[in-house]
Amino acid sequence: MASDAMARRAHTSAGRRRPLSSRTGLTVLAVVLSLISVFPVVWMVTSSFKTRATVTDGNLIPREFTFQNFVYVFTEVPFGRYLWNSFFISAVITVAALFFHSMAAYALARLRFPGREKVFGAIFATLLVTIPVVLIPLFLVARQLGLLDSYAGLIIPAIFNAFGIFLLRQFYLGLPKELEEAAIVDGCGHWRVYWNIVLPMSRPILSALAIFFFLANWNAFVWPLVATNNQDLTVIQLGIASFQTQYTSNWNYILAAATVAALPMLVLFFVFQRQIVESIKTSGLK
Amino acid sequence: MLQHGNDAERPPRAHGTSGRDSNTSGPGLPSGTSRRRFLTAVAGAGAAAASPALLTGCGTAQAKGGNLQFWNFYGPQRSPDPAINAQSKWFVDMVAKWNATHKTQIDLVYLPQPTYLNGFKLPSAFATGEGPDIFLLSPGDFLRYYNGGVLADLTPHMEKEAIDDFGSALDSRRVDGKVYALPMEIEPLAMFYAQDVWEKAGLSEADIPTTWDQMLDIGDKLRTKTRAGLVFETQPGYYQNFTWYPWMWQGGGDVLDHQGKVIFDSRATRQALALWQDAVRHGIAPRTVPAAGDVIGGFKGGNVALWQQGIWNVSSFKAFAPKYRYGVFRLPVPPGGKYVTTLGGWSFCANAQGRNPEAAAEFCVWALGSMKDDSIDRMVDWCVGAKSDVAPRATALERGAAKGGYDSEIMKKFKDDIFPGGRAEPRYPPVVYKAISDAVQGTMLAGRGVAGEAERAAQSIAAYTKSYKGASLV
Amino acid sequence: MSSVAAQENRRATVATTRTPASSDRPRLSRKHREWLAAGLFLAPDVLGLLIFVAIPMVFSIVLSFFQVSGFGSYEWIGLGNYRRMMNDPLFWDSMKITGEYVVILVPVLFCVSLGLGLLVKQKLPGMGAYRTALFLPYVISLVVVGVLWKFMLDEQTGVVNRAMRAAGFDGKSWLGSPSLALGCLIAVTVWVMMGYYMIIFLAGLQEIPKEFYEAAKLDGAGPWTTFRTITWPLLRPTSFFVLLMSTVAAITGGLDLIFVLTNGGPANGTSLAIFYIYQQAFGFGEYGYASAMGSFLVLIMVVLSAVIFKLTRGGRFDDGE
Repeated sequence: MASDAMARRAHTSAGRRRPLSSRTGLTVLAVVLSLISVFPVVWMVTSSFKTRATVTDGNLIPREFTFQNFVYVFTEVPFGRYLWNSFFISAVITVAALFFHSMAAYALARLRFPGREKVFGAIFATLLVTIPVVLIPLFLVARQLGLLDSYAGLIIPAIFNAFGIFLLRQFYLGLPKELEEAAIVDGCGHWRVYWNIVLPMSRPILSALAIFFFLANWNAFVWPLVATNNQDLTVIQLGIASFQTQYTSNWNYILAAATVAALPMLVLFFVFQRQIVESIKTSGLK
Repeated sequence: MLQHGNDAERPPRAHGTSGRDSNTSGPGLPSGTSRRRFLTAVAGAGAAAASPALLTGCGTAQAKGGNLQFWNFYGPQRSPDPAINAQSKWFVDMVAKWNATHKTQIDLVYLPQPTYLNGFKLPSAFATGEGPDIFLLSPGDFLRYYNGGVLADLTPHMEKEAIDDFGSALDSRRVDGKVYALPMEIEPLAMFYAQDVWEKAGLSEADIPTTWDQMLDIGDKLRTKTRAGLVFETQPGYYQNFTWYPWMWQGGGDVLDHQGKVIFDSRATRQALALWQDAVRHGIAPRTVPAAGDVIGGFKGGNVALWQQGIWNVSSFKAFAPKYRYGVFRLPVPPGGKYVTTLGGWSFCANAQGRNPEAAAEFCVWALGSMKDDSIDRMVDWCVGAKSDVAPRATALERGAAKGGYDSEIMKKFKDDIFPGGRAEPRYPPVVYKAISDAVQGTMLAGRGVAGEAERAAQSIAAYTKSYKGASLV
Repeated sequence: MSSVAAQENRRATVATTRTPASSDRPRLSRKHREWLAAGLFLAPDVLGLLIFVAIPMVFSIVLSFFQVSGFGSYEWIGLGNYRRMMNDPLFWDSMKITGEYVVILVPVLFCVSLGLGLLVKQKLPGMGAYRTALFLPYVISLVVVGVLWKFMLDEQTGVVNRAMRAAGFDGKSWLGSPSLALGCLIAVTVWVMMGYYMIIFLAGLQEIPKEFYEAAKLDGAGPWTTFRTITWPLLRPTSFFVLLMSTVAAITGGLDLIFVLTNGGPANGTSLAIFYIYQQAFGFGEYGYASAMGSFLVLIMVVLSAVIFKLTRGGRFDDGE
């Protein structure tokens, strides 16, 4: 495809050299900032190896080192099930949301129809609605649709969010029109233009959004809490919360569980961030 | 699939709804049912119009069946803490026994404590008519739930003998002589102290403080940069108020008198507010509780000398730090004051608007409030087996003691020394709670004037009680 | 509008001249086909947003005219909840705190994320690792973030106070002092969100054509001039987006962190409006009153976003080319 050629061109024009000193300075800055950013997380990981009695002692390195927290998290609690639920729900939401949002955003950015700006304004306004304000009505709606206590109830309401539409629309507005126009000239319908041209060109923004969506749903707490009672539907964040008891909280298990929950997301980001950057390069058509 | 899900959910609810409508005679329920239907219909109409567009491939909306739902924060669950496992088992066994001997079946639904107590879950459920049939209730929530008309009257199911057996433990759960909740435990507050810190400072049993000044002095003596001398609860919430009340009561103060008149703005109130304020101002008490509120970790890590805490920690120490040496003593009193502590503890309630309020109420009484042996023994198991609490029934306390449940030095002290001067946690509704909480927080942590805060709180409580409609606040 | 129409014409003529065969197929007119396509493309999202956001919001506004018991009974009280809101000092205190919170958080977060975006745009060895490191806080759920910082900001054993004592200062009660707690909440929020907006800025920065920078270099422009004349103006859509999103998030978010870190304390010092609304609704069962305050908050956000929209000229909003 054309984007491959673009990628090569982008690569060859990319290798600009900077003076050594400023490179060193920037590297040092990046390292320092990264350390600041990572420190609390490292603290979380090391603390997850502490025992119940020492987890709150404030030391970075555990005085009493134990693997037991992780063993416990995986053996005594159906944590695998929680992970799977969260993974499944987040993945379905992400795929469905990206698909719907890119369709809507494409229409808003590219197709001409009466009331386009009004529709966009209305969609945008939904961003201003916040969950605590609408939680009870949302619950009623979900009940009316028979969505409570089901995967569907965890998935469907979470798909619709104007954030993605907004970002994708911005992206489509910035894309050059030539390819689409050529396709239309060749007699393609709007669907085929969208499917064959627009969607492939959206890969960079979609992969970035995929991470954001996936993460947001991986960390979802309030809606799963309210919408489900069935233990089989427990998502990971509810699973973590269940280590808190009435008067004491087993922070060692909470931190171990949080580490386990964060790990897949980190790997995902580490792998995907390269792809995002690469994709952004390949799409740098302008 | 969606249609199916809907159908599967309907029958029990249709049943429940009719039951609810016939029950709208409860207090605080004006003729709003039709409006509620209307509102639900508004939501439903929009939703129904749109339903074909939805992805429903993975709907697994399951039938609820007619089983009663019992929401609690104990079980079924598995925990590394043997005490928590025992608590979970107590709930599971109880429900299994009921199910084996009764036609109406009960499902036990576990909700993690933080999500139950201070979360979205229970309020959303009740607000939408999806409340559980049986649930656990704290004293602070009692009036709100009672005034909302969701508490079933348990009295018809109880023998008089049993009501007498509970005695004053039922006071804060009664309205017009009728019982609406059955306490499962009594949890008094006391001062916990670290014995090694105590001894290293050259203190002995004889130095245990009995007055506020002595307590402050010892806290001052034992504190270091990394150790809090004396810990009072710092986070705003029902719990903080709960721990603050005894300091006010000790000086003869109260929020409302027996006629419900507001008497909050008093010398005793100002004195109690000043106690916490001074302790914080002089650095004796910290502004945030040590170890993120973890009592075992805080003591074991050497970060606390004295902490106002509850009896429930006894079983936690036993589970996680069995060798740790700590002691307890009664809350010290101000000059001329009289010893009081607060008694907490949760109770069983039946939902008057649930699937089957009769059966739910019957269950509560069967479980905790009948004169049958296994009902009493169940409470004994809970209070001295699964937990470390004072039993709310005289017979259960007796049997618990006979079983050796109060033999340990600490538990003995709780039963014979700390508990007898106790007073049940009051059942003030949210506005009253918030006014008091703001006064405590404002004086303790923002250094505001004690007199002004007491006056302001008293005024907003008075304004509220003037327009308040519902069961007696005291 | 006129330019749109002109383009329509141009396209239409191009189409008919290049593909004459298509003219004799029976079908809707081009224009109507486009309308239909737009309708179908928009349908799933519009319906979904209608059902799961708009209807609940309308419902919530309706609720704001009722006294709600929290147990299924409703009583019409007209503007009663709004009158109560007007006279509730706690609500206005919480609005004031929200104001402070937003006014500090949004610019700080904006500058930090933009700075990080500029930094990680550089080609340095191991940049993937730095990006991951900076994004890392965003990966962790807010409840756990709250717990982590609660430990680290602990008065006695917290890492922060240990470091301060080691440096010869006195430790502070970070979360227990009304003057510091809000700042801590802001700092933690910046720490969580910076990586997220960094990525958004990075995407925006990568979109700026390299030729511009090369031309600027040939002109001998320094880094500051380059930033001011090229990066800043061309980054406008992204800046608009980040500004708007972070403002909305600041007003509507933060609950999870507040629950764990302070529960609204000390002395209501971190009782943001959204927390107060939550408390009234779910703590006290005052759903009608909470809905009134919530609706008011949404109204404020509508006004605010209109202002931001105006100020930044909506980024790329209107120039659809």
